[in-house]
Amino acid sequence: MSTPATARRPSYVGSVLRIFDLSLGEMLWSRRSVFLALLVGGPVVLAVISRVVWALTPVDALRVNGASVSGPGIFGLMIWLLYVRFIVPILGVFYGTGLIADEVENRTLTYLFTRPIPRGAVLVGKYLAYLACTVLLILPSVVLVFFLMVPLNGGSIGAQFPSLVGDLGMLAAGLAAYGAVFGWVGARVRRPLVAGLVFVLGWEPAVLLFPGYLKHLTVAYYLQALVPHAMPEDSAISALLQAFSDVPGVAPSLLALAILTGAALWVAARTVESREYVLEQ
Amino acid sequence: MTTKTRYFVVGSLLTLGVGLGVGLVAYSTGFSTSAFTRQGGPDELQFVPANAALVAYADVHDIMLSDLRQKVRSALPMKPDGQGEFQNQTGINIETDIDHVLAAIVPTGEQVGQMPGAPMVLARGRFDQVKIEALMREHGAQVEEYKGVRLVVGGGQSGKGGSVSLAFLEPGLVAVGSPALIRGAVDLKTGGSSIATNDDMMGRIRDLDGNAWAAGRFDALTSRATLPNGVAQQLPSVTFFSATAHIDSGIRGSLRAETRDEESANGLRDVVRGFLALGRMQASGRPEIAGALQSLQLGGSGTMVSLSFDLPATAIDALSRIGARRVGPASAPVR
Repeated sequence: MSTPATARRPSYVGSVLRIFDLSLGEMLWSRRSVFLALLVGGPVVLAVISRVVWALTPVDALRVNGASVSGPGIFGLMIWLLYVRFIVPILGVFYGTGLIADEVENRTLTYLFTRPIPRGAVLVGKYLAYLACTVLLILPSVVLVFFLMVPLNGGSIGAQFPSLVGDLGMLAAGLAAYGAVFGWVGARVRRPLVAGLVFVLGWEPAVLLFPGYLKHLTVAYYLQALVPHAMPEDSAISALLQAFSDVPGVAPSLLALAILTGAALWVAARTVESREYVLEQ
Repeated sequence: MTTKTRYFVVGSLLTLGVGLGVGLVAYSTGFSTSAFTRQGGPDELQFVPANAALVAYADVHDIMLSDLRQKVRSALPMKPDGQGEFQNQTGINIETDIDHVLAAIVPTGEQVGQMPGAPMVLARGRFDQVKIEALMREHGAQVEEYKGVRLVVGGGQSGKGGSVSLAFLEPGLVAVGSPALIRGAVDLKTGGSSIATNDDMMGRIRDLDGNAWAAGRFDALTSRATLPNGVAQQLPSVTFFSATAHIDSGIRGSLRAETRDEESANGLRDVVRGFLALGRMQASGRPEIAGALQSLQLGGSGTMVSLSFDLPATAIDALSRIGARRVGPASAPVR
């Protein structure tokens, strides 16, 4: 009895889809998902609380720092402060850096690499699973927050709908870009989480504050150009950001994010293909 | 994919799909949550021509009863005979007889005084029709019948715009304006193309709140407005504007401008932001003004630029004290 010598090797796309299928469930029901649920559930809870307070308290205007703001204004504020500046970059870091690094840390990478599939497909499949997982959690959360917050204080759902579509597209583009960049960092760097946190909490906010070309080396520079809401004037840093704002157009930003995502993903896949991972014993 | 994962994916996509579907329907039908509370503006809009460039509304009764009005009245006592004389001549007590006023400017190709069109005012309240007619007749007005409505056409010239006419369109609703506009309003009683059928304007009017508001096409203002250079440069790109105010013990409201494209909106935001920063910098040593400036919040998304403000009673008191200090020395008698 002989074993089939020419077992069919799955195509690259087939391999990617298999890894995607395997990884999506793993990502959704892992311990990290608790963190993800807290992150995306926070704004929804906040919106529900605002809605309840609005309904129960005899006030006729929403106020932020004593100033009256409309429901759409609060929604825009939440998109900026919670999603664009915090949730999207942090999820990109935590999930993106873990695409390969987690398999190395858990010493399970060998099981994937010994399968008859291209190594790069492992990263691409896991990246797509990350994207599906985060997009399927964050976008519904934004939709819920939209319907809870926008009608407050005379806001119109119909009038604000185009900005919701813009927000959803912008957040998906941000998740894709951050995930690809940190997917590469996770595949290349030994302690990727630290590097990722330094990038999103240190490098990006710092270089965005100053005039010059360095801001082009961030994801936030292009992502913030896609936000359809006015940047909030919530702090001195925001004032500085606005003072030195050099906002690129929507089309150049989309192009830059697409190039960044594609390039980072390609480099990450190449890194996984060529790098020898030494699993700690 | 496990069943649990499949359920999650389906649930998530369903939430997203339903949300986007509802939003799309709301967007395409112009549905607004404000429609629950107000049937798309006051009923008097049906008498305003569809091509009106500016529509403004004031809930006079609400404003007259507001704490702020009482405060202003006690701080700046008016001459008792001014309002009384108006009441004697027209039978209208402004404080108690007028409920609300709707005003409109309709482009007619000619400029009336400072306004880039013919004005029309619709006031709802309790009016002495006989007394008003008699007063206008004393000043040379003629009464004519038009489609069953008594039209009082003024004989004199009102500024450069010609005579002023008046008609009671309904019990308790008086319309004042040029004869052509008033005849048009009478025509609209039986239906027709009024501002209420103008989706562009009504879409904006439905979103307005407060006891005073105005909305209109910006070209109605640009011909006469005196604005700072930076703002004036942005004006050609502004298409619509609106302003709302809620007057009670203080004033809160917002100004909104819509631009042709997002680039213009960003430019306008930058200009306003610059003025705000300048104002805040200059007011840093004066907490009473700084507090008022702090309430100015720039916002808006896409092609919309908004500036909201909130002046509570304390801020108005502080500002009036500043005004009083400025007026004080000038009005003091010279010794």
